[in-house]
Amino acid sequence: MAESEKIDYEPISVREALTEMKDVSEIMIDLAYSAALFNSHELAEEVLELEKRVDYLAYIIDMNTMLAARDAEDAKHLTAVTTVAAATNKISDAAADIASIVLKDIGIHPIVRKVFEQVEERLARTIVKPDSILVNKKLDDLELAAKIGVDIIAIRRRQKWLIDPSEKERVVEGDVLIVRGAPHGVDELKALAEGKIKELE
Amino acid sequence: MAITEEHFKKIVDKLVFMKDTSELMIDLAYSSLLLNSQALAEEVEALENHMDDLHTDFELLVLSSGFTPEESKDFLGLIRLGVVTEEIADAAMEIADVVLRGLEPHPILKLVIEEAEETVTRVKVSETSPLVGKKIREAQIQEETGMWVLVIRRGNWWLRPRPDTVIKAGDVLIASGYAEGEADFEALASGVKEPVKQEG
Repeated sequence: MAESEKIDYEPISVREALTEMKDVSEIMIDLAYSAALFNSHELAEEVLELEKRVDYLAYIIDMNTMLAARDAEDAKHLTAVTTVAAATNKISDAAADIASIVLKDIGIHPIVRKVFEQVEERLARTIVKPDSILVNKKLDDLELAAKIGVDIIAIRRRQKWLIDPSEKERVVEGDVLIVRGAPHGVDELKALAEGKIKELE
Repeated sequence: MAITEEHFKKIVDKLVFMKDTSELMIDLAYSSLLLNSQALAEEVEALENHMDDLHTDFELLVLSSGFTPEESKDFLGLIRLGVVTEEIADAAMEIADVVLRGLEPHPILKLVIEEAEETVTRVKVSETSPLVGKKIREAQIQEETGMWVLVIRRGNWWLRPRPDTVIKAGDVLIASGYAEGEADFEALASGVKEPVKQEG
């Protein structure tokens, strides 16, 4: 059993924490289904990384809402906040459960995967190598959506997550990119990130 | 007995439908908070009941695949995926429950949802609407209003709109999109030329 991270009070606003929690939990669902359907351990591991972040945020939200209640009326309003935070946390737990199906190799029947692959776009994870042409480029200069039909839906940079990164964001060596698109485009992006292709047409 | 590809296709269709329904429920649940809308929260509740039936159908379909003991692990994965999808639907229901119980959503919740989401609206198609009798493809709702129809409720049925689904008077259309299109969408469905100002 991995050691649990210690939680300390941090004065992060409930609004910020809950917005992040909502965005992260929605990405987790997409990642988790993709992990299951393509039997991807990589994606499943990313889901569990995100789950840690959501758990942390859940504690922060709890502490800050408790501090914010001054009277019964406040408490009543804030109950709605904690209920929603708990439900959002539950969504991320569900995503983590899907990831565990993958990591424990319980598996999904391969034929189901085959059928699903025909209807769904693909999600994938790729790490940016130092010699990749993506390094130091801004997302809007890369025009990935227009050129190869791929969207970068999240970037993990060390311990930090950028969900739905801004067009002005620059790709950094070592970034973990979570991308979505048609299978062909996704493969092309992986090759670009690994430095195997040097040109983006 | 070999399991046919057609049987797998049925399983996948059902799973995709459950997944789409649970995601729709999340969208609707957050929207019910944003608008403090009892009606939208009730839609989530109705979908939750529908989801329970879907889940049972899905499980029966998986269990009736006629798999061998060696294959059982592959099918366990599917069963678990169904369970988790149902859990996501339950979480959406918990969000909608805040509204159903009359806990007025804290202003923070509205800010959170507005920062992250587009708007969701629901409208009933009147007898005089130009949409009546048209297929979704012909209705050009997205082109005209920018709103995307997520789901259609017809009596007790929930329909996923497909290009050839015919819109009927009395249908309840639930759509998402940017707020600017909302009034146009309501005008189109109600058959009133000018956008009607909605109360509350």
